[in-house]
Amino acid sequence: MTQRFESPDQVRQALSQQTYIAGDEIATITYLAQELGKPILAEGPAGVGKTELAKAIAGALGRELIRLQCYEGLDETKALYEWEYAKQLLYTQLLRDKVQASLRRTKTLGEAADRLSREEDVFFSMRFLLQRPLLRAILSPEPVVLLVDEIDRADAEFEAFLLEVLSDYQVSVPEVGTLRAVHVPLVVLTSNNTRDLSEALKRRCLYLFIDYPTLEQELRVVRLKVPGLAEDLARQAVELVQRLRQGELRKAPSISETLDWARSLVVLNARALDAQTLERTLTVLLKHEADLRRAQTLLAMPRRAPASGGAVGHA
Amino acid sequence: MEERILRFISALRASGVRVSLAESADGLRAVRAAGVGDRNRFHVSLRAALIKERRGLAIFDQLFPVFFDHAAGPSLPDVAGDLSPQEAELLAEGLRQFSESLGRTIERLLRGEPLSDEELERVGRAVGLQQVDDLRYREWIIERMRRALRLREVQEILGELEETLLRLGLQDERVKQIRAQIDASQRALEGQLLSYAGQQLAGNMAARPRPNDVQALMARPFDRLSEADMERLRHEVRRLAAALRSTVALRQRHARSGQLDAKATLRANLRYAGVPMELRHRDRHLKPKLVVVCDVSASMRHISELMLSLLHALQDQVRTTHAFAFIDRLEYISPDLARGEAHQAVAQVLARMPAGYYNTDLGSSLADFDRRHLALLDSRTTFIVVGDGRNNFNEPRLDLFAKFVRRSRRALWLTPEPRPLWGTGDSDMHRYAERCGAVFVVTNLGELAAAVDRLLAGV
Repeated sequence: MTQRFESPDQVRQALSQQTYIAGDEIATITYLAQELGKPILAEGPAGVGKTELAKAIAGALGRELIRLQCYEGLDETKALYEWEYAKQLLYTQLLRDKVQASLRRTKTLGEAADRLSREEDVFFSMRFLLQRPLLRAILSPEPVVLLVDEIDRADAEFEAFLLEVLSDYQVSVPEVGTLRAVHVPLVVLTSNNTRDLSEALKRRCLYLFIDYPTLEQELRVVRLKVPGLAEDLARQAVELVQRLRQGELRKAPSISETLDWARSLVVLNARALDAQTLERTLTVLLKHEADLRRAQTLLAMPRRAPASGGAVGHA
Repeated sequence: MEERILRFISALRASGVRVSLAESADGLRAVRAAGVGDRNRFHVSLRAALIKERRGLAIFDQLFPVFFDHAAGPSLPDVAGDLSPQEAELLAEGLRQFSESLGRTIERLLRGEPLSDEELERVGRAVGLQQVDDLRYREWIIERMRRALRLREVQEILGELEETLLRLGLQDERVKQIRAQIDASQRALEGQLLSYAGQQLAGNMAARPRPNDVQALMARPFDRLSEADMERLRHEVRRLAAALRSTVALRQRHARSGQLDAKATLRANLRYAGVPMELRHRDRHLKPKLVVVCDVSASMRHISELMLSLLHALQDQVRTTHAFAFIDRLEYISPDLARGEAHQAVAQVLARMPAGYYNTDLGSSLADFDRRHLALLDSRTTFIVVGDGRNNFNEPRLDLFAKFVRRSRRALWLTPEPRPLWGTGDSDMHRYAERCGAVFVVTNLGELAAAVDRLLAGV
């Protein structure tokens, strides 16, 4: 557990201890993000481990991970802060006597108002500020990793607002003043590229494109995460997934789905990828009826197919 | 090094990648932080700081070696220097059989002397490097430079030279050494040529004047667009999409007038001690689901491609888009679109279609759709066809088309042909048009953008 990365090589080691296999590119960019204090913008198809990267970084650095999941209609009150009105009201009710006592000796209305305004700070203080993920990341006394997940789902306005927070790592709350980051958090933004992000946001980030892994990379991930799966079966399974990705599917299987599939093979105690096993488990990998049908023709999977070799074939 | 990086950045800009000033500063900082010792790491860190979208990655990877391979001029071992006087004489005699200029070239290779800047410039001028501003011609230019330096011929006569030297009595080992030296020098010189030519080309590209008549281009009919025009319109589409997005978002905000949302109103008015000062409404805006069927035959390719990239750029304004391309059968193109640019996606789909003679057949493509994808059409779907309705006298399958129109919320048609041409020749446009909700005649990008705006507005 370190609080800082020393070099790209060390990043890679630390990440692999978190069972995250990082290539040279990921390691270098993570290191740069720390050195330059810039957010990482990780883009790529769904399920290639973008979110996982942020978790692994947090684990490797021994920092807390603060996650902000983006969705349509996400706004400042959900992302940054909100005043706790209920609590404020409750306090005014309970403190009524106290307030009246302190106002008793005032003679004019003006004097009373002056007196009250001196106490105003009590009600607009950090005590009543409900901290949402962004503010929490900025105010945390310990350095943290901030994950802004699926930023492409949020509205364009939210993106502009995020920009302000990410470029200066400060937030201004009108009643309290400007809150500056105690530690610059390490920020990871992920995007599935369902729309173009604004130039301004992209300009502030280091760009990392994560694509589907190669066969060997994916096999390493499977071996690491699902150690119970027999070596040759793991290879066959990964080869099959890689082949499916080549095909014209509505949704290509992601790494996480490969892992789910590998786990279900372990649970079912499968010995080989024969037709029956495939038929029972392929739904873990493919989530569309049309995809399933296409995969079945793609794999040319007749019911009486000979075990493994025939069904898997050569990618 | 910094100067080289800056030149590299201007070459990137010339190739159409947007790199801001702040990003180039980041690039330099990133390189400083990661160091230049490890070439791969250097590559990755510069790329992460400069390139912010996937389509730029390929351009970066293509240009990078031009600037950063053979970064230092070749430092070559000098074999000629440690030949004994006797051996030198033999060598000189061996060279005498070739023309004087060829002999000089070989001597130079033996000395291992890199080309000076003036020499490079002279050779470049001789082969017309100044006039070329396209990286695709790099190989061709380098080949010409090789010829001008007579490196080709040297390679051809090397065997002969070797034999002569052996005959003259030079030691076998020595001859091998000489040969190795010449090869190594030659490789080094070619490396020099490669990076010089690449950098010059990139420089020429950067200096190329950029005509600024985008407006005119947007009004130019699709069938009169050259490939270069298309290249510029592809950039334009992104700007257009951003503009469209903000008008659509504004329109939606003004249109918010749904049911009262009691829960949200209570929450929002806590600050007024529960007195409802601010009313909250349910956001009744429904984003459309789109199913787009695009004709990608030669006459329709440009408009289909621009339409697809426009829709892709506007993904956040719709719920989902399922895109299909057809010529004589239907291909599902959304996965290709997710992977890359629209023109690449179209190219990939074309590669999957049977090669050779294309026979546009919307009828059978509609039948394909009916068989395989009918479930995509429901009461919230907008069904869009981009095509000219020219069916090569194939069965138009109006029954299926009418069925799709019935199933979906709205059906729209985008065609580049003006109304008077409908129904002429092999056109079935007029017959589709009667069954379709609305037909937009779009002949240029400006009209296309307006049509897409209407499409997103009228949910």
